[in-house]
Formats: sequence, structure tokens, C-alpha cells
Amino acid sequence: MELSSLLTRRRVGMAAAASTAGRLLRLGAVRAEGHCRRLRRAGLERGFLQPTSAGKDAAQKRHVAHFTFQPDRESQEHGQTQKMNLFQAVTSALDNSLAKDPTAVIFGEDVAFGGVFRCTVGLRDKYGKDRVFNTPLCEQGIVGFGIGIAVTGATAIAEIQFADYIFPAFDQIVNEAAKYRYRSGDLFNCGSLTIRSPWGCVGHGGLYHSQCPEAFFAHCPGIKVVIPRSPFQAKGLLLSCIEDKNPCIFFEPKILYRAAVEQVPVEPYTIPLSQAEVIQEGSDITLVAWGTQVHVIREVALMAREKLGVSCEIIDLRTIIPWDVDTVCKSVIKTGRLLISHEAPLTGGFASEISSTVQMLHTRRNPIHFFWEDCYLKLFSHLYHGYG
Amino acid sequence: MDRQGQIINPSEDPHLPQEKVLKFYRSMTLLNTMDRILYESQRQGRISFYMTNYGEEGTHVGSAAALDSTDLVFGQYREAGVLMYRDYPLELFMAQCYGNMSDPGKGRQMPVHYGCKERHFVTISSPLATQIPQAVGAAYAAKRANANRIVICYFGEGAASEGDAHAGFNFAATLECPIIFFCRNNGYAISTPTYEQYRGDGIAARGPGYGIMSIRVDGNDVFAVYNATKEARRRAVAENQPFLIEAMTYRIGHHSTSDDSSAYRSVDEVNYWDKQDHPISRLRHYLVSHGWWDEDQEKTWRKQSRKMVMEAFAQAERKLKPNPNLLFSDVYQEMPAQLRKQQESLAQHLQTYGEHYPLDHFDK
Repeated sequence: MELSSLLTRRRVGMAAAASTAGRLLRLGAVRAEGHCRRLRRAGLERGFLQPTSAGKDAAQKRHVAHFTFQPDRESQEHGQTQKMNLFQAVTSALDNSLAKDPTAVIFGEDVAFGGVFRCTVGLRDKYGKDRVFNTPLCEQGIVGFGIGIAVTGATAIAEIQFADYIFPAFDQIVNEAAKYRYRSGDLFNCGSLTIRSPWGCVGHGGLYHSQCPEAFFAHCPGIKVVIPRSPFQAKGLLLSCIEDKNPCIFFEPKILYRAAVEQVPVEPYTIPLSQAEVIQEGSDITLVAWGTQVHVIREVALMAREKLGVSCEIIDLRTIIPWDVDTVCKSVIKTGRLLISHEAPLTGGFASEISSTVQMLHTRRNPIHFFWEDCYLKLFSHLYHGYG
Repeated sequence: MDRQGQIINPSEDPHLPQEKVLKFYRSMTLLNTMDRILYESQRQGRISFYMTNYGEEGTHVGSAAALDSTDLVFGQYREAGVLMYRDYPLELFMAQCYGNMSDPGKGRQMPVHYGCKERHFVTISSPLATQIPQAVGAAYAAKRANANRIVICYFGEGAASEGDAHAGFNFAATLECPIIFFCRNNGYAISTPTYEQYRGDGIAARGPGYGIMSIRVDGNDVFAVYNATKEARRRAVAENQPFLIEAMTYRIGHHSTSDDSSAYRSVDEVNYWDKQDHPISRLRHYLVSHGWWDEDQEKTWRKQSRKMVMEAFAQAERKLKPNPNLLFSDVYQEMPAQLRKQQESLAQHLQTYGEHYPLDHFDK
């Protein structure tokens, strides 16, 4: 009896859900910002953490992201700004680079027509087909080719269409790009190489359009790995990567390409690499994240404050390697607790590196640790690192 | 040239001046002498590892001579003759093999991983064929810079099986890069003969599949190699397209000091190539028949070149190894905090436990 009434309720629920889904589909035609505003209003009251058996929410979940993008306050420091989403911010950075540096070229699969995520729209027309061009479908070729350009001193901006496909280029990145300067005694280097790649979950990406491979590269000295949380951050960090004299990998959270909109300066500006940012101060616990997960963590912090009375300090790591140990440690000294959250798998994920480094500092008796021996801190509880 | 150093087809005689041909000969023989001495030095435990170039000197010198001195060279590991031809000093060859403090590479790599910025010879790396797509990128940049420069990329027939080789060929053709792909087909990739490396018609036959003009040459005929490279260079610059040269030769020596090739090939086979078809012998026949070289000069030069090599060798051996701090620099252009801490930690460790390390052998 109960089962049949449950089924009846579910059928009713699904009908209601279907009509809601229909409404949402019409909403889908509305511009991205409108959708986000609606989401934000709806957000916490609707209870993102409520069980999905709540009938009318079931079909809607498919159209709703697991987070809300939260823009930062508009920066006044860099001149005139323009509303841009993340892919437009990337285009702007690339435009600035090609304008400033006549040796700079952009290449990869499908970049010529504008790119599968529209990051290179307009650039080929503006700068010419010798500067913005398609390559054959071959990631090891793209990166190897990029290294070669950089060896001559020209600026090479390579695109790998999805971070999930970066692995054929792993040898070129780890064995070649990362080691070029060191192995040649600084006679040669490929510092003017930047590799950009869409990264992270997007909802429907499955195994091969969702990966976050930063941990594989974190183990490789000689390269830098950078992940922005927003359009403003993306442009500044990408420009820093391009100018940086070391080969850099810049992962762009694809779910933010359209969903994240902010005022972004039109002129070039840089955001320093290897500097984490404390985006919210707090006293009870330090939350560390990067990319999309920063926005999840922001919501978590809000909920923690409202429901648990807990004050969270939030750090956006921004550069994965070389990472800003100082900022994280200073924060954990203050709060005494650390939680790291990332999309990538738990085992061997980059949270392990962060937590073990911080843990080493906690264990002063540890005979093998030699970092920051003067940085004494007490941890009130274990470290916790979770993945989203 | 045939095996007796006679020009087969007069229209293909490059008519090189005596000075130049003598330079060919001296480069090849000096390389040979250096190879013998450094191979021996590894056997005696003086250096850790070595790879000889026996039998392939013609491919190095013939091609190097056809290039401009500013053309960028990407090699694999068996192209020391290119550097030799570009007058890289013996002292620096030795410094790299000994990993001493004079090594411009700062002692970081295994022997024979040479590199020279002034001579436009990109530092060798161990992974095979990785240089191929890189060379293509460099050629693309050279094309954009309108520098009248080409890039030459050397690799063996074994490395040509790597994915990077396929990538490089395809990119060079589609992106119209002024590059010469120079394949040294020497019959073996360590112990793997060509029959187990490929089943098609060598490497040259692959070129047209990519839209690349290709030629196969007798790699032991230094003039043939010269002619092919010269023409490829001329056209690469003029037409911005890649060329593929497959130089057929034979690896007379072992793959390296870690290899004993009698395990997979007969001594007779090796002797055949050494005695019947050696690039140095063939060029000597040519020189002698032109009256540009004789027994006395040969004797004198052998003594002289051996003396030069031995002197450089003795000096290299006496030098200190690089400062241990060089373990940490150049990983990035600037040293990040984590590496600085590791460096300090090593310094502290050596302060306490330095007696257990051979610090006297290292530069302070």
C-alpha cells in the first residue's frame, strides 16, 4: 500500500517536475546573467542540500549547477572595465598579448574559427593566419611544436582542447618543457611557452570532458600550473603566465566560461603567480580551494556561518605549483583547522601535498622535515580534505 | 663517390675546394679519435657512459657542411660530428662527458648530451624523437622571423617509429616549415634491426605520405650527403616546406658503452662495413687520388689529433665537478621558495655530515 502511494506521489511529482523543467527550459533561453541571478535568489532557501527524492526538484537538478558563481568586487586599479564572461576574458588576454608581442602566436585544434569554447574568436582576422592557426589533431605535436617556437625566443600560446586530452603531451611537458632550462645549463629554455586548456567538471562531461589533472603536473618541477576562479582572475593570471619566463599550464574551468561574468579591465594587467589569495577572512577554520570549487566553498562558508556559527577563512590557491605555502600556513596558524576541497580524485590529489606540508610543520618532532622550522602551529583537529 | 672514392657521376660532383674537403676529413677523423679515447675512458671507469659515432661520421659532416652556421640543429645523440664540424672545442666535449665545472651544461646530464648556444646546437635530451616536433616549431618561428634560417632535425630510424616523429612530419607539412628532417638509418636501434623496426620501405617512403619531398642517400658518401642537404636547404628557404633525407649508413660501434653488440650481430657483419664501406676511408681515397693527402700527412695528423685529444682529456679529468648548489638553480628561471629551502637544507646537512661526501672533488 505504501509502495503504491509512493509511486502515485512520484508520478505526480514527476508531472510537476516536468512542468517545472519546461519552465526551466524556457528560462534557459534567457541570457546567462539572468539565469544566474535567478539561481542566486533561489539558491540557499531552495536547499541545495535537500535530498533529491524531493520530487519536484528531481528533473530541475539536471539544469542547475552545483554552485553559484560569485563575482568579486569590481577592481578600479586597471582602468576601464567591460562586462566579460570567462572565455571573453581569455580572448581579451590573448588579444592584449598578440598586440603587444609581435612574436606571439596561438595554435591548437580549431582555434582558427574561434575555438570550441570561443576563446579565440576574432583573433585570426585581427592578427593574421600566420599568428592564429589550426594544427593537426595531435597533442604531443602541439606541445612539442610550442616548445620549439619558445626555444627560439618567440611566444607560443598552445591550446589543448580539453585537459582530459593533455596526456599524449605529458612526455613533452614533463620530460622536455619542464627540464629544458635545467638540463641545458640555461643555454636553452622554453619559458615563453604557455599551454591553455579547458578544465574541470561541467555537469554532462563524463569521464573525458571533466578532468582536473593538476596533480599529475604538480609532481613536475620546472613548470607552473595556474587555475583561475573568475574572469578577472583569468585574464590577469593568463597574462602573467604568458609573460612568465617558465613554461606554464593554464587550466580554464569550462563551467565558468559562460556562467562567470564580471567587470574585467580592457587593458592588460597581471596577477602574480605563486600567490594565493585570502578572499574571505575568518577565524575558526581555513578553507582552501581553486577554480570552480572556490565558489562551492564560498557557499559552504556562508552555510557554516549561518547554521553552525563558524567563521571560515577562504583561500583561493590560484597557482598549484609552485604553491604559496606561506599564505596557507599563516592562515592555519591563525585558525588551527584546515579543509581543502578539490574536484579531482582524493588519492594523490593536490590536497595531499598541501595537507602533508602543513602537517609536517605541525609535527615539530618530525626529524625529516626542514621547511619553515620556525613556523610553529597547533592544529586543533585533523586536517580534512574532501573532493567535490 | 664509390667505395674507392671515385666520383660516379661527374655532374653530381660538388667540386668542393681542397680546404673544405680537408676540413671534412679532419672533422671525421678527429671525431673518430675522440670517440676511441672516450670509449676507452669509460671502460676504465673515468667517465660514466659514452656513445661512439663509428661509421656515421659522413652523415654528420656532409650535412653540417651544407648548412649555414646559424641554422639551428636539433639532434638525437649520435651527431657529435655536426658539433665537431662547427669547431666545438675538444675541451667542452670532454667537460660535458666528465661533467666537470667547465661544462656549459653545468654537469647535469649523462655524457654525450652536448649543447651549444653559440653554435646553434640545441642541447641533446635522452627521450627519443622529442626533438622532432620541437624542431618543426623552431622552423615555424624562423619562417615568421624571415631570418633566412632553416632548422635541421636528426634522428635514427628507430626514433622514427615514435609518435613524435609522425607528429613532427605532419606539422611540418601542414604548417609549411623550412626544415630538413635527416634520418640516420644505421641498421639498428640498440639490438633491434630494421626488419623489426618497420616493414615499409624505410623512412624516406613515409615522407610522401605526409606531403614531404624525400630522398634516400648513401650516408657513407659524404659528398652525396652534402649534395642532398645543400639542395634541401636551398629549397626549404625558398619554398618554406620540409624535406626528408634518409641517409643509409651502418652503426659500426655498439649502441653505447652499456651495450655489447656481439650479442645480436656477427663480427663479420661489422667488419664488412668497417673495411668495405667506411665514410672516412672513402673520403681518404678521394683525397689521395686528388693529391690532397698522403701517407705522411696521415701519420702526422693521427699523431697530432691524438695528442690534442689526450691533452684535452687529461685537463678535463683534473677539473673539479660543479658546485652542488647547481642542483637547484635553473629549474625555474628564478628559484622558488621551496627549492631555496631544499638548497638550504642540503647546505646544513653538509655542514654537519660533509665528511661523508667527496666534497673535495666539487667546486666550492
